[in-house]
Amino acid sequence: MKNIVKTKGLTKSYKGACVVNDVDMNVREGRIYGFLGPNGAGKTTTLKMLLSLVRPTAGEIEIMGQPLSAGTRIHILRNIGSLIESPSYYGHLTGEENLRILAAVLDVPKSNIEKVLQIVRLDKQQGKKTSAYSLGMKQRLGLAGALLAFPKLLILDEPTNGLDPSGIQEMRELIKSFPGQYGMTVIVSSHLLSEIDRMAEDVGVIANGKMMYQGSLEGLHSLDRTKSLEEIFIDLTGRDQSL
Amino acid sequence: MMKLLKCEFMKTRRRYVLLSALAVTAVMLCWIYPDNYNEDFLRMAWMGSLYELPLVNSIFMPLLSIIVASRLCDIEHKNNMLRQLAVSEDRGRIYDVKLIYGLMIMLSCVFISWIMTIAFGYYAGFGGAVPIKLYILYLLFTLTPTVAVYIFQHIASLCFKNQAAAFFSGVIGTFFGVCSMFLPQLSTLRSLFIWSCYGALDFVGLFGWSKENRYKFAHFEVVGIDWRSFAVLVFICLAMYIAGREFFKRKEL
Repeated sequence: MKNIVKTKGLTKSYKGACVVNDVDMNVREGRIYGFLGPNGAGKTTTLKMLLSLVRPTAGEIEIMGQPLSAGTRIHILRNIGSLIESPSYYGHLTGEENLRILAAVLDVPKSNIEKVLQIVRLDKQQGKKTSAYSLGMKQRLGLAGALLAFPKLLILDEPTNGLDPSGIQEMRELIKSFPGQYGMTVIVSSHLLSEIDRMAEDVGVIANGKMMYQGSLEGLHSLDRTKSLEEIFIDLTGRDQSL
Repeated sequence: MMKLLKCEFMKTRRRYVLLSALAVTAVMLCWIYPDNYNEDFLRMAWMGSLYELPLVNSIFMPLLSIIVASRLCDIEHKNNMLRQLAVSEDRGRIYDVKLIYGLMIMLSCVFISWIMTIAFGYYAGFGGAVPIKLYILYLLFTLTPTVAVYIFQHIASLCFKNQAAAFFSGVIGTFFGVCSMFLPQLSTLRSLFIWSCYGALDFVGLFGWSKENRYKFAHFEVVGIDWRSFAVLVFICLAMYIAGREFFKRKEL
């Protein structure tokens, strides 16, 4: 199985403080990759670098077999759907109008709007202004925007943040369905071990900007059979405040 | 590009950006035209308007730029839409399209106020024929500083999330621009400071005016067209556009 995302020595520093330190990330195609780490570990910065929102201080990024550079950037990004930190939307427009704008920017057919609204189960709320949406609905709209072009790679940064338990479960089931139904690879970050444990097939554990573990979820479990996954995570990250 | 311009139009639905701009233009026009004119002024009012309008423009056009740029860019900052757009489209194009859309609104307002000025002249019975060549020149010398000021506001509003920075820099610029109208001796400074270019490019002078006789023995005259200031302003526009575009492209979101 080939890697859809490969980073080599990915580093980001802000005024001398290293936020992401020499990260080698390998994401296998067609899998759900859980990117796990405590708050402030460097997950969002790493994902932003994959999306060219933040420029790496050092290192290389290869996505879909192409090095991410100024020349290839837009071509690569058009094959990536993303939801970073919090959902993006125009509050004064309806859900459907928001997606119409994105569809025009991405140059995808309007029929995709109806499809993604059905996938995220917002089709009945599409005529409502997004400022009146609940947080769960905004997250689903953000996900609809990420899915709009039916990209090969989906990058979701803490997609269950702020959701109630039923919303978390719904989001989880949706994400789990993407590789099977649409052939997508999903990178999903979270600081919640239980979430990643239920969703991901492969895992990357990051702490203090360093990749502490990368491999299958089963491999993470088998690092020490005598310990629970929480204990293994604490051993790896050296922290326990985010579990 | 047309597709992205349509998107800009869609984004501003229910935001009434054009309506706000037209409202400010209407206030400006109401302020320019009093309900009655001094008869002495009326006989030379076509030239008189060309003399007075740059001052009004130096107040209203920068304020209009602040409003339009801020309203157009704020919708991208709210709820992180800029980030969403930046992963879907080339950042240079995002910058360009937003600038073009904002300029379309601004230049429409300038053009409307220009048409209204001439229409009002006929309605109020300004003496003689309209000096159309001078009015076309006035239009050019209003459009160019407006483009410069708008590019500045566009950069400040698009590149910085906090719209207060764009607002205060615009207001301070406007204040000094208006003050510079009364300092014609600082000609070099006036042609380098974009807000004062409305005054720097003013080509009509008033002669013979006195407190006692007012316009009785006064006349307006073309005092010289400052093409050097115009060329400097065009260069500043280009430099600001390129610098702002590069800054936006490199900005981390």
